[in-house]
Amino acid sequence: MGSYYDVDAILTDAQKVPCTFELTVPGLGYIEGNMSGDVKQGSKVELPLWLGEMLALSQSLNTSSLVTLDPPSALAPRVLNALKADPKTVDLRALAPHFYNLGARILDLWDEEEMIEVLSDTFKARAAVIADQAHNPRGALGEGADFMRGLDENERQLFRAAHDSAKAVRAWMADIKKK
Amino acid sequence: MALPLPPGLTPPEIAFLCEMELVTVIPRQRLEGLELLGGRLPPLNPPHRTPLPLWLALLLKRQRRANILPPPWLAPHSLTAILDHETNKEEGFSPPPRLPPLAASSTALAFSPPFLASSTAEAAPDALPYHWLEIGEMLLEAASDDFEEPDSVRKLLRGLREVRMAKLRKGVELLYADGGIQLNGVGAMEVSEGRAFVTGVIDNLRKIGASREQQRKDRDREDRENGYPSTADYDDDEMEMQ
Repeated sequence: MGSYYDVDAILTDAQKVPCTFELTVPGLGYIEGNMSGDVKQGSKVELPLWLGEMLALSQSLNTSSLVTLDPPSALAPRVLNALKADPKTVDLRALAPHFYNLGARILDLWDEEEMIEVLSDTFKARAAVIADQAHNPRGALGEGADFMRGLDENERQLFRAAHDSAKAVRAWMADIKKK
Repeated sequence: MALPLPPGLTPPEIAFLCEMELVTVIPRQRLEGLELLGGRLPPLNPPHRTPLPLWLALLLKRQRRANILPPPWLAPHSLTAILDHETNKEEGFSPPPRLPPLAASSTALAFSPPFLASSTAEAAPDALPYHWLEIGEMLLEAASDDFEEPDSVRKLLRGLREVRMAKLRKGVELLYADGGIQLNGVGAMEVSEGRAFVTGVIDNLRKIGASREQQRKDRDREDRENGYPSTADYDDDEMEMQ
């Protein structure tokens, strides 16, 4: 998914996920701010997704992995319930700037049928509002401003695409009037 | 990223293609038939109606050498009827014009919009052709004095556009990662306007459902290896029969 140079994919991978260390690792204390100490077994640390994923999936030491990943707070059950209740009022950007990409990555790691449903329905419901805002010249500034601020990166691209194509048609209509 | 233009045609390109459509003109001056690369154009004899490509009709109109006869579906009462159909029916767009029956000979080519006379004076009055929005706008702009009520036509076109774009946007809520959206009767300009949005939504839904899709593929492959008929093939068969 995405190319090697895809900035959005890189930023998605840099988002933090909570991890629990299953083993005591000597000398790794600096990742929780303890410059010279060890990471104790059972300590919880926020690691970037790429690092956490690698540590969780590497199974070189007696088949027990080094850390276990926990679902990030942006995809906690509390958030999914809020999305189920009303997708349009949740500020996704505050939860994670690349909310859907993060969700897709997490779904690669865990099987969660329900999360797929919730995320798809959320995206569809919000896409309809985005389309309306993109065709309404005052929407982004006036009454829709709060909603627009809460869009995640994918939704912003969608808004831009919808807005640009509507603008191109309007520009063409203005153009034939000049001839 | 490298291409400056988004995929698909831009509105000026669609308008350019639309200028190939035939419209009916009433010439005011004589003109010999023209041999052009695109084919032979009929000679113009003043009171006789003649089908001409839109680009030439607009040119002659601007030089005051001809009058354009608007197609019957651009009359206010047909537009009102189509608009009523659009607003009363929740799902689907108003149907496109019916295709003429294919010629019996096997060498005949299938008809498609630019080669159908869907905008001449003999066109069907009850259906919007593929290039309805472009032709309507361009004729209203260049030949508004050939319409009986240009203002009401303009208003109806605006209304139709709003209703249909709203439907196109609402169709997105019914989309699934592997599903489609029905675009029967949608015009070229509307496709261009909706393309970026609809493809963006489908791309993102596929991204979210990617793990499920992968699972299904794995399951199908296992089924095939175990000798069971795969479910994917069933789906394909059904699609073909519909």
